Amino acid sequence: MNTAKPVFELQGVAYRYPDGPQGLHDCSLRLERGRRHALLGANGAGKTTLLQQLNGLLRPSAGQIVFDGQPLDASRAGLRALRQRVGLVFQNPEHQLFSAQVFEDVSYGPLNLGLDEATVRERVRAALADVGLSAHALAPVHQLSFGQKKRVCLAGVLAMQPEVLLLDEPMAGLDAPMQQALTALLDALVARGVTVLLSTHDIDFAYAWADHLHLMQAGRCTASLPATDLPSQASAWRQAGQPLPRVLELHQALQQQGLGLPGEPPRSHEALLALLALSARPQATPSTPPARMNCHD
Amino acid sequence: MLIEHWAYANRWRGVSPAAKGLWALAGLAAAQGAATSGRALGSAAALVAVCLLGAGVPWRAYLRAAWAPLGFLALSAASMSVSLRWAGQGLPTFQFTPEAQALAGHTSARALASLAALLGLVLTTPLPDLMALLRRLRVPDLLLELMVLCHRLLFVALALFHEASRAQRARLGYASRAQAVRSIALLLGHQAVQLWQRARVLQASAEARCGGAGLRFLPPVYPHARRDVGLAALASLGLLWCTWGLA
Repeated sequence: MNTAKPVFELQGVAYRYPDGPQGLHDCSLRLERGRRHALLGANGAGKTTLLQQLNGLLRPSAGQIVFDGQPLDASRAGLRALRQRVGLVFQNPEHQLFSAQVFEDVSYGPLNLGLDEATVRERVRAALADVGLSAHALAPVHQLSFGQKKRVCLAGVLAMQPEVLLLDEPMAGLDAPMQQALTALLDALVARGVTVLLSTHDIDFAYAWADHLHLMQAGRCTASLPATDLPSQASAWRQAGQPLPRVLELHQALQQQGLGLPGEPPRSHEALLALLALSARPQATPSTPPARMNCHD
Repeated sequence: MLIEHWAYANRWRGVSPAAKGLWALAGLAAAQGAATSGRALGSAAALVAVCLLGAGVPWRAYLRAAWAPLGFLALSAASMSVSLRWAGQGLPTFQFTPEAQALAGHTSARALASLAALLGLVLTTPLPDLMALLRRLRVPDLLLELMVLCHRLLFVALALFHEASRAQRARLGYASRAQAVRSIALLLGHQAVQLWQRARVLQASAEARCGGAGLRFLPPVYPHARRDVGLAALASLGLLWCTWGLA
C-alpha cells in the first residue's frame, strides 16, 4: 500500500446545493498521487459534485478538503493556484467549449496561466496532437462530432499541464476505438506522474483500468479500495447493491466449474482469454500470470 | 450557416484577415467615393468577381447570401425614387421625378458596392479571425467578449432548437396548427431556460480553467501575412484609382 501523502483528502465533506438538494453527505476519500482512480456511482450519486469540489467550483458546507497536505484555500489566489494544478474536463463538451475555433479554445487555459505566446502555441500543438486533433486545429467547433468535441475539451485541459486530471464521464458518448485511444492517453499521463480521477458508471471499464475504485451512493463515499482487492471483497460489493465486473463473475463461475486458473484474477476480457489460453496448454504452467494481464497495475 | 460555411471552406481561408479586411475597407471607400453610378457599379462588379474567382465562393452561394440584403436595397431604392405630393385638396399623388430617380440610382449603386465589399469579407473570413483582427485594432475587450459568447451561443441555441423541435415532431407536436403553436411556445420557453443554464455552466467551465479576467485566445498564425497585406494594398490602390475617377 502506498503510504505517501495523498494528493487529495476529503474529510467529512458535505455540500448542499443552493436550490435544496443535498449533493454530498459526510464524504471522506483519499486520492493517492500518480495513480488511476475511478469514481463509481449511479446517476445522482454525487460524482459531478465531488469533482467540482476538487476543482474549487463548489465549496464544502461542512468538512474540509486537503490538497497536497494543505487545507484547500478558497481565496481568489488560492483557487487560481489550485486550478493551475487540477484540471477538470466536463461531461458535456457543450458546457466547456465557448470559443468558435478549436485552436482558440485550447489556448484559453494556458493563456490564463500567464504563459508567453510561444509556450502557449507549443502546448496547444502538443495537446491537440495528444488527442489526435492536429488536423482540426483551425476547424469551427460547431462542425465537430460529439467525440471530437470531447477531445477538444480534454486538449483544453491537457494544455494547462495539470498534476491532477479530473474527468466527468469521459467515456460517455465515445465509440470503442475512441475509448481505447482515450484509455491509452490516460495511461500515458499516469506514466508521466499525473493523478487521474474519472467518474463512470461502467464497472467493467473501471475494474480493468483503475488502480483504485471509489464508490459513491446518494452523496456518500461508501467504499474505497484497490481494484486488485475487489475479488476478495466481492460479496461486500454485491451487498452494497453494486454489480461485479463481468470478467470477475465469469472467472468465479469458471473456478466453481472446477477450471482452476493460475495467478491473480484477470481484470479484463483480454486478460481472461490469455489466462484460458495458457491453462489450455499442458506444458505451460506459469506461476505468475503473463505481463499483459497486469498491464494496468 | 451559409456564410459561416463558406468563410471556412473558401480558397482564401489561409490568407491573412488583415489583407482581406484592407481589401474590404478599400471596397467601402471606393463605394462611398465613386464619382459616378457607373464607377460604383464597376467597383461592385470587381469586388464580386474577386470573391467568386479569387476566393472560389460559388456564385449560387453568393447569390443566396446576397438575396436578403439585395431585397432591402431594392425596397429602399423604390421608396427613394417615389415621392408623395399633396396639393392641399383631394388625394396625394405619387411622383417619379428624374432627380429622385438619379439620386436613388446613385445611392443604390454605392450601396451595392458596399454590400459587395462586406459580403466579400464575411464570405472569406471566419468570425473568430475577424475578432482576432479587431482585437489587434484595439477594439474594447468587453465588446469582443460579447461577440465571442454571442457567436458561440448562437450555434448552441441553434443545435438546441433543432434537437428539441425534432423531438417534438417525433411526438406529433406539429400535427395541427394548434399543436404547432403550443409546441413552438413550449420550445421557446424551454430554450430560454436552457440557454440560461448553459451560460451558467460555461461561466463555471471558464473558472475551472483559471478564467475570470477576460476571454483571451491565441490567434492563428498566417505565415504569408506580409505578402498578403502587400498584395491587398496594391489591389486596393488600383480599385480606388479606378473608382474615384483618377483613371
